[in-house]
Amino acid sequence: MRRLRFLALLAAMHCGAASAQDSIKIGADLPMSGPNAEYGELFGAAASLAVEHANADKMLSKKLIIQFEDSQATPQQGVVAMNKLVNVEKVPLVLSAFTGVSKAIAPVGDRAKVVSVNGGGIGPDLAELGEYFWNVIPLVNLEIRVMAPYLVQERGFKKIALVYVDDPAGEAIQKELKENVPKAGGQMVAELQVPRNAQQFTSVAAKVREAGPDLVFIASFGAQQAQIVKQLRDNGVTQQLAGYSAFSSPTVTQLPEAKGALFPTQSVDWQAAGISERVAKDWKAKSGKEPNAYVANYYNAVMVFVHLAQALEKSGQPITGENLLRQRKSNGSFDLVGGKMEFLPNGSVSMPIQINEIDGAAGKLVKGGTMAK
Amino acid sequence: MLLLQLLINGLQLGAIYALTAVGFSLIFGATKIFHVAHGAAFTIAAYLFWWTNAVLGLLWPFAAALAVVAAVVFGLFMERFIYRPIQRHEGAFFTVFIAAFGVQIIVQNLIGTVFGRGFASVTTPLSHSVELLPGLFVAPVAALALVVAVIGFTALSYYLSRSHMGMAMRALSENPDLIRVFGLDPGRVAQYAFAIGSAIVVPGAIFTAMTAGLNPAVGAHVMLISLAATIVGGIGSLRGAAYGGLLLGLAENLALWRLDPQWSEAVTFIVLFLFIIFRPAGFFGRPYAAK
Repeated sequence: MRRLRFLALLAAMHCGAASAQDSIKIGADLPMSGPNAEYGELFGAAASLAVEHANADKMLSKKLIIQFEDSQATPQQGVVAMNKLVNVEKVPLVLSAFTGVSKAIAPVGDRAKVVSVNGGGIGPDLAELGEYFWNVIPLVNLEIRVMAPYLVQERGFKKIALVYVDDPAGEAIQKELKENVPKAGGQMVAELQVPRNAQQFTSVAAKVREAGPDLVFIASFGAQQAQIVKQLRDNGVTQQLAGYSAFSSPTVTQLPEAKGALFPTQSVDWQAAGISERVAKDWKAKSGKEPNAYVANYYNAVMVFVHLAQALEKSGQPITGENLLRQRKSNGSFDLVGGKMEFLPNGSVSMPIQINEIDGAAGKLVKGGTMAK
Repeated sequence: MLLLQLLINGLQLGAIYALTAVGFSLIFGATKIFHVAHGAAFTIAAYLFWWTNAVLGLLWPFAAALAVVAAVVFGLFMERFIYRPIQRHEGAFFTVFIAAFGVQIIVQNLIGTVFGRGFASVTTPLSHSVELLPGLFVAPVAALALVVAVIGFTALSYYLSRSHMGMAMRALSENPDLIRVFGLDPGRVAQYAFAIGSAIVVPGAIFTAMTAGLNPAVGAHVMLISLAATIVGGIGSLRGAAYGGLLLGLAENLALWRLDPQWSEAVTFIVLFLFIIFRPAGFFGRPYAAK
């Protein structure tokens, strides 16, 4: 009996090895636990939809699979996960998220010549993390360069108070607002930095009220940004609220207190025939929700890999990080969700930015796609 | 006016901290078990209240009662199936700590899987502030939190000093053998401590669901504050834990009078360090020397 069990175990291990050889694996270093796990769930589901489509359409010679590892949205855990994906799983490409995590894992990928693709982090310095770090999301400097003139000049919110988290993403937004709001003719009346783990903002609301702004800009993410919105509204802050693309997470868009808040995202026409329409339809069928820009980004991140791997397979080259990079440079543009995507020389993308208003449902477009100046 | 506003905010938060810290202190004081999973009891109670009240539409007294039952069951489960087997074998402090920490993470992930990993909050008029004076906003929940904290603490103190089981709980921390001499079962007394300590976390959990909102990782923060309040108040002293919680809530908010919000949590731990250095026994703890 014991021998039989051993043989069964060997057979199972053999099957596992065989299935690993029969597949192409990429990695995903996303938060699956902790206060930002909601993002990991969303990003992972979008990436999985792309894998499902690629496998259904037999775009690659073998089945594509994703190995998920939990970054907890912290740089330390992100590096642990990245090391496992690079050294143990030997993946050629890793999906990344969050500015702090992305900055921490980039050197690991660079050393091992493994591509990292970010679809969620927005810090402007993510464009400078080396050849093996790519962004399929327009970075926050582009968002703010469209958002600041809109808020100040078109909507007349001259005095802006900022509540921002003390991490690279929050600090990047503070820097951009400080530069672009005065340029547009406005004034920053308060800049309140909050710790990343803070959960109480009643007294922050008191400081905001004291500053007397026309608009409060919130630069945080995950559960914290929803906590800030709720507590500001509960504690007498009645002014217009605004945020950056992280406001597109369901946690904020479905929050009653966030109704009317403004936020920018990249322009995506989900009704456009072809891939955009297909993704929108399948996403709604699976999740019961409208897709947002993050769905487009992580779907696109996987599809960039699929297109590059397809080209490498056609030319008989192995799918390695080095070859993916070479292929990306020679590929030109990609036909993806939202239209054609072209990488800039630094591995980032430039896209039109639209401004949305939270209306308690799918969101209302208040200003169409504009290219950042 | 800002100072008065910060003071009121600090009292509201301090009352919530006191309610959670007292439960932890009661369990630790009576059983000497470092119940790190106390934060998990808070998370379970808070999410169950949110789900039954805000999602299913159950009336708040029933939702609160269910939250109490869930917190008590969790506390009893921890005592019976996690801590007691460990103590039966070796009972090392570190083993207990790791086991409790592991349960805290498991609960966090289970909550995320069952209720979702996003933000959850109970929308109620009680959390909406009204302008009492120009620039002074107070929510009804602030007064409610203070009243509940005072009633909860008074009732608990009365129970511990007047009832047989309360006295047994106090005796358990001193000498478990003495409990046996009086014909009581120390295990049963410990279960009472876990049940009451877990139940008293529920009001704080409900107020947090109404005011700050929840995420599956909320328990870790609660645990940190409970621990800090217990040390500041004096380990083993319920009165100390209550004052400690209140002091930390006040310090966190009053810090904003002169400092940036970034410093609010750091101030909490500065208070803790000051106590550790200058008054290691806390407010009401008994000073002891290392043997």
